[in-house]
Amino acid sequence: MAMTPSPNSRASAHDLDLVALAATGERDAFGELVRRHGSAVRGLLRRMGADPALADDLGQDAFLAAFEQIADFRGEGTFQAWVKRIAARLYVRRWRRDSRVDLMADPPEQAPETGSGQAGAADRIDLDEALRSLSPVERMCVSLCYGGGLSHAEAALALNTPLGTVKSHVKRGLDKLRSRMAPSIALAGQHPEDRESAAHG
Amino acid sequence: MADRTFEMELDRLFSESPVLPDAEVFAMRVTERLDRGWTFRRLLIGGLGLAGGLIGAGQILGSGVLTRLDAITAQSNALVRSGVAQLPAARSVTDLLSAGASIDGQILWMSAALAALAVGLFVTRAIREI
Repeated sequence: MAMTPSPNSRASAHDLDLVALAATGERDAFGELVRRHGSAVRGLLRRMGADPALADDLGQDAFLAAFEQIADFRGEGTFQAWVKRIAARLYVRRWRRDSRVDLMADPPEQAPETGSGQAGAADRIDLDEALRSLSPVERMCVSLCYGGGLSHAEAALALNTPLGTVKSHVKRGLDKLRSRMAPSIALAGQHPEDRESAAHG
Repeated sequence: MADRTFEMELDRLFSESPVLPDAEVFAMRVTERLDRGWTFRRLLIGGLGLAGGLIGAGQILGSGVLTRLDAITAQSNALVRSGVAQLPAARSVTDLLSAGASIDGQILWMSAALAALAVGLFVTRAIREI
């Protein structure tokens, strides 16, 4: 007879072990997985553009769906990446239903922002802030492909949009993010003293 | 900066997400919803089973099985009575055994049926005890 793991052993167990337990109906093991990865999943949904309340709701739905389909998880990627994909697809479905954004249309050109976005050395790399400068469609496409782990083709399928359109939204979004974040990212790899001198000219 | 480097950095930034302050509450809500779902399922399966059982029992009763059972019982009773009436008058078991030649096939079949019934009762009782 299989021994039920104690809460302490659960906390130190590997994700795959917890997944195996959850697949046998152990809800406590699945609860530990939710504790570990809940923030990441909700964080992704917020980055995709969901408000905190919606991110919480869809995050819960995503984990419930994951529990239902847990036998399908083959351990090829991480559990977190798998749930993120489920959550991203749920959000896309909601977004398509609720928003009236024309995915095929080119987003309006936004004036490049200067100031906090063009980070000085003291500014931290703020992905969330940079994502807010993208149009909803660009933000969705970039988040799906980089946060949700979907390929361009999968994103196109989820959004029911031609592949080329998704690619162009991603490219445009990346260009905008690069222009806002590149200085910070370049500085992130430098020695702190070099960063200081770069910050002060 | 090379495109690939920037994309790798973006991947890294997306994979880094701070632990939200209400992570524990969120996990509790998910677990509660899971528990609620399981309770609902148990009730649903139990309710459907009960309803199915009642419908099945209704169908069996409606098909007149009790009447047929009554008729079969009456026939069996009549058979047993006629069998007993045909038994030779015996004052003791030894008389009965000595009159073995007169015991016909019906009595043998009845004895076998009673023995089978007794074995069946014994087995049922034994299974219950286990």
